[in-house]
Amino acid sequence: MSSSDPQVRDAEYWSAQMAAVSHRRDRDCFMRIYDHFAPRARLYLKGLGCPEAVAEELAQEALLRLWQRASSYDASRSSLSTWLFRIARNLHIDRVRREPCWVPMDDEPGWPDRDDASGFSSAESHAEHVDLQHRIERLPAVQARLIRMSYFEAKSHQEIADELGMPLGTVKSSLRRAFQRLQLGVRGQA
Amino acid sequence: MNPRHHLDEATVLSFAAGALSAEMAAVAATHMEVCELCRERLSEAERIGGALLGQQQPAAGADAARGARLREAMLDLLDEEPKLEADAANGRLRPTDAPVDADCLPRPLQPYFGRSWRALRWRWMAPGVHMIRAARGSGDTLILLKIAPGKSMPIHSHQGTELTQILQGAYDDALGHYAPGDVADLDNEIQHQPVTAPGVPCVCVAALDAPLRFPGWLARKLQPLVGL
Repeated sequence: MSSSDPQVRDAEYWSAQMAAVSHRRDRDCFMRIYDHFAPRARLYLKGLGCPEAVAEELAQEALLRLWQRASSYDASRSSLSTWLFRIARNLHIDRVRREPCWVPMDDEPGWPDRDDASGFSSAESHAEHVDLQHRIERLPAVQARLIRMSYFEAKSHQEIADELGMPLGTVKSSLRRAFQRLQLGVRGQA
Repeated sequence: MNPRHHLDEATVLSFAAGALSAEMAAVAATHMEVCELCRERLSEAERIGGALLGQQQPAAGADAARGARLREAMLDLLDEEPKLEADAANGRLRPTDAPVDADCLPRPLQPYFGRSWRALRWRWMAPGVHMIRAARGSGDTLILLKIAPGKSMPIHSHQGTELTQILQGAYDDALGHYAPGDVADLDNEIQHQPVTAPGVPCVCVAALDAPLRFPGWLARKLQPLVGL
């Protein structure tokens, strides 16, 4: 995949905008990120069942965290959308589900011990990110549906099985196959 | 610690999606703390989440006035001093190869069972079997089990999902040898009969989303006793 691919250029573009925020606290660059990603974060949170006002509040907070923690962002470790996904997911678990015993998951841009990620150049990881998007679009319908129910509705395997009238084992094996199919893109083994 | 039995990839995916119950997530996180492979898979599953978030297509021009007001509010927030988040970051799930202190429970389990192994109040359930059931929870069951060495557990299967992480000691069943760090990620298609290894008691933490099913008259007598 060459960088003439518009989607790769897109991923590179957001990464460059975030780098400018990270290095120079560039407000214009940040607001470009905000304009693009805030509506997507609101949609994601609404999909999880947040009322409109809560989705707005949490999306604002998620975007603000990108600004406040910009200095720890490293484009070679995770794409901007992955970091934002982690932050929004954790905010939803903390504030909406209010699990009293949940030990929050890390939402720093990369695991602290993940030096291995530096083996990828940024260009490769942008291409991989786009490859992953293509693979998501090409998932068989059932796998795509189970992926969406997991990520966008936060449904457990059993809830999916009940709702679709599928055996639990089939839900798990379909999700496993979907994950493996998408992973090939992430690992660049395709 | 180098675990040989891992989380089902479907479980890792649901963990990344925030779709596991708090109890299942506590066991999964306990495994992730000691398993680099599953942490690696978690990162990949989170990248899928990121790609899905990026693919969202907001309706163009939907409620432009409201969007403009939120945008102004964000611009104002940029000038504020960031809140100090050092303390918040300390509570986050981080991979650790060794507990700081040998008496310290894995961090994801501390909200349910406290910090200290020595302070645990084990309840006798059956000969050679002690248990602690977490009081707080969101619906699924979370238990700590301590089974004497060289003991055979009743054959059982599951109506739903059972996620078990070995913390000390070991057991064997038809699926293999499970030692500290290993996780057994089982569903209703599996019937098994764990036998604990000789030497030290086998201590494990298990999350269950439905009652265990024991076949046989002895096990049926045991079931109400164990209270599962």
